[in-house]
Amino acid sequence: MTRARLRAAMLAASAGLLLVPAFAAAGTQFDPSTEFSLDRYLDLKFGPIDLSINKAVIYLLLTTAILCIGSVIIVRRGLKSRPGRGQNIVELAYEFAENQIGRVSLPASAFPTWFPYIATLFLFIAINNLISFVPLPISGQSGGLGISSLPDFGLYAATANINVTLALTIVTFLCTHIVGVRAHGAWGYLKTLEPDAPRAIKPVIFALELLSQLLRLVSLSVRLFANMLAGHLLIIMAAGFAVLVGSYVGLVAIPFALFFYVLEWVLVAGLQGFIFALLSGIYIGYAIEAPH
Amino acid sequence: MSVQTVTTTVTNPSMVTAAKTLTLGLSTGLGAIGPGVGVGYIMGKTIEAVARQPELRGELLSLTFLGLALTEAITFYALLMGFVAFFLA
Repeated sequence: MTRARLRAAMLAASAGLLLVPAFAAAGTQFDPSTEFSLDRYLDLKFGPIDLSINKAVIYLLLTTAILCIGSVIIVRRGLKSRPGRGQNIVELAYEFAENQIGRVSLPASAFPTWFPYIATLFLFIAINNLISFVPLPISGQSGGLGISSLPDFGLYAATANINVTLALTIVTFLCTHIVGVRAHGAWGYLKTLEPDAPRAIKPVIFALELLSQLLRLVSLSVRLFANMLAGHLLIIMAAGFAVLVGSYVGLVAIPFALFFYVLEWVLVAGLQGFIFALLSGIYIGYAIEAPH
Repeated sequence: MSVQTVTTTVTNPSMVTAAKTLTLGLSTGLGAIGPGVGVGYIMGKTIEAVARQPELRGELLSLTFLGLALTEAITFYALLMGFVAFFLA
């Protein structure tokens, strides 16, 4: 199959797959807010700790499976000096993570310790975002395609859930400050946050510095969360516009849905993972040695 | 003289829905002004820089993407508050 034909086939497939949720919703109530409701599939409560399996957990486990099993398979096939396609992809991802993220953000002394964390962050978030654009039969409603027991195909992003992004951000936050305290000692670390200001207003600027450190928690998690949530909502709304308007005139919004779909998948998905990993690396690097 | 305060609560449902919808629209629109200017500025500076030194195109492109993602995030803070007002209030 030539590349042009492959591209045309992929475009037609995405258009078709976008129409499936739109027409499926025509039969039932179209309520985009139910796309993000998480019902438990498997209850696993251990006292106060709730490890139930729901839609987001399944997607997270799917990403983990892709990363772990995929890399094991590719390495076990044998790493050759003339790489095949799988090895090529893995080498591309590693080279990107090392040169564009690791070397840029981490200082040379901390690189061996922290590069695995940064690279894992990048790959985990990027793959989570990328699989969120593949329609999988995990939706709240069922019966759209005529088979009443098969759940409807739907798009869902695990990172469109503030809990996931906040968990990753908290890990980065803790790593940053623990690394800073280990490098400088507790009092020394606070002194590195001391601002360069005239003596009178130093306390004010110092308080602002502390506040901005806390606001990093908010900005890092909300950036990823809102990008994914807004992207998916835009696609769902545009694809279901025909149902919202109530007549076939709304089908004019399908090209918009396709445009957002391609834009999000190609650009935003990987970029958000890259940004998260890069900023985590920069924060960890700054805690060790702030570049002055 | 005593100061009397009168508190009123809006209970008319269509009024509440109207307020929520207005919040969503206004927050999305107003929140997109700043980042719109910012993104245009970044791209303009990148084009100028590449025109001055075309051999730095690759490096400047990665810096551009970094800057774009960081400024685009600001729109989403406003959009998120709009969603919170619309769906959660």
